[in-house]
Amino acid sequence: MINRERIERIIHSALDEWQQLNPDGAKVAKVPGTVLFGEGSTLDSLGLVTLIAAVEREIAQEFDRPLTLVSEKAMSQRTSPFRTVATLTDYIASLLEEDSHG
Amino acid sequence: MPIGFLRRVFQAADSETAFLWRGQPFSYGWLLGALDRWKAQLQAESVLPGTVVVLQSDFCPEAVAAMLALIEQACIVVPITAAAGQQADEFIALAQAERVIPPFSGLEQHAVLTRTKVCADHPLYERLRREGHPGLVLFSSGSTGQSKGVVHDLVRLLKKYQLRRQNLRTLAFLLFDHIGGFDTLFYCLSNGSSLVLVEDRSPEAICAAVARYRVEVLPVAPTFLSLLVISGAYTLHDLSTLKYVTYGAEVMSEATLQACRRILPQAVLLQKYGTSEVGTLRSHSESSDSLWVKLGGEGYQVRVVDGLLQIKSESAMLGYLNAPSPFTEDGWFITGDIVEVNGDYFRILGRQSDLVNVGGQKVYPAEVENVIQQLDNVADVVVFGERNPITGQIVCAKVTLVQPEPLKDLTLRLKLFCLQKLAAYKVPVKVVLAEGPLWGARLKRQRRPVEPTPNLWL
Repeated sequence: MINRERIERIIHSALDEWQQLNPDGAKVAKVPGTVLFGEGSTLDSLGLVTLIAAVEREIAQEFDRPLTLVSEKAMSQRTSPFRTVATLTDYIASLLEEDSHG
Repeated sequence: MPIGFLRRVFQAADSETAFLWRGQPFSYGWLLGALDRWKAQLQAESVLPGTVVVLQSDFCPEAVAAMLALIEQACIVVPITAAAGQQADEFIALAQAERVIPPFSGLEQHAVLTRTKVCADHPLYERLRREGHPGLVLFSSGSTGQSKGVVHDLVRLLKKYQLRRQNLRTLAFLLFDHIGGFDTLFYCLSNGSSLVLVEDRSPEAICAAVARYRVEVLPVAPTFLSLLVISGAYTLHDLSTLKYVTYGAEVMSEATLQACRRILPQAVLLQKYGTSEVGTLRSHSESSDSLWVKLGGEGYQVRVVDGLLQIKSESAMLGYLNAPSPFTEDGWFITGDIVEVNGDYFRILGRQSDLVNVGGQKVYPAEVENVIQQLDNVADVVVFGERNPITGQIVCAKVTLVQPEPLKDLTLRLKLFCLQKLAAYKVPVKVVLAEGPLWGARLKRQRRPVEPTPNLWL
């Protein structure tokens, strides 16, 4: 079973990193409902790819396996995995589950 | 006689040193003798004009004599040095080699000429044979990864060397199976100059050779200059004899250029430009600390179309062995190099194929590399694009460090530094640590698994 808290911690740390790079940007709350991308988000497309790159890097380190988050599969999901902190956590958990069973 | 003019130079220079190799001088008189000896062997072994001969050798005096004999015999020469590595067999097949001079140490005065069963019937070879002209085949790796065989008519290519220029002692840094190395060699031979041949191309070895032989001209690739700066090898040897340091083969970083100005204050730093396809252009840098360069010279015309440099030249190649013609209908070669123009001066921004497109905005890797190189603890960096479904491509930086540093800390430091100097879309999204060197066998930066066609050289 993948520990969701570990994933959330990684996303929060990536948000901290993004915040450090954008000190003038709006503060992003580290809660599950925070909108990452789409209506009501503070990240633009460049901010999103930067955040995702940071998450990928930390996952590779923490779970010792490479994971590609931005893929055709991610782009074709009915609810975008990049919509909120919660959807991204779910998506990463499912990818890691798949990986460990596959 | 395609090299009759060279024979006259050699005769006049007779006792002067042509090559310095492994600590030994080889005079122009020796070169004439070796040329005649090789010529006699070719004739004894019935190597007829128009034969495609692969010369597999390192850059040594005997190999140069063999190459000159093959040219005088009106053969089609295919030089292949050890830098070709595992691609050597692919090149031999692509060139349709009829005879092969296998790798020799340079100490032998005689080589075995292996006969292959191949009949070299390429239309470009037929054209050379009809005119009775010697040919040259060089290989350049294309942006799609397929190596391209470039066929030159040596009567056309060698014409420009008939004009005598400065006699300066030069170090042969680039290899003779590369258009830049070929140019260095023929420039020196046509002026009766001494050429220092080296086997070790590390900064330490090159600096030691410059000091030992009092080298005046050092033609290198920018990556070598970066290594020179990082290694500190320049502090251990006297480099004050250097009058000219020429660079090309890839985009030079501003940071490296400025560092070279500091460590080689007496030398003029010159940017050179040439391509395997059109040969070498005469160039003139605006100043030693400028990346703006005037290009052209006798026999060359330059123009810019859609931001890309195009060149028309009398000494351009006849064509590729294995690719469609890259020339426009009116005979201009499309270099694929993006340039900025200011009056008569050009600034090379990079290869069109290296350009990173982030959501429709263009990023030149060299510009980003130039910034990252100024960051503490960064030894070297290459910047490249990676496919990304969100922005089309993202900018990535592969870094080698001076001291170990956690990737997370480096990433943050690098991004913050870049944000101060570059637009946000140019700042690398991904930073990775390189496991090996960032350059290939010819000391050129590798942005992709396969190098794009190198156009700037020397």
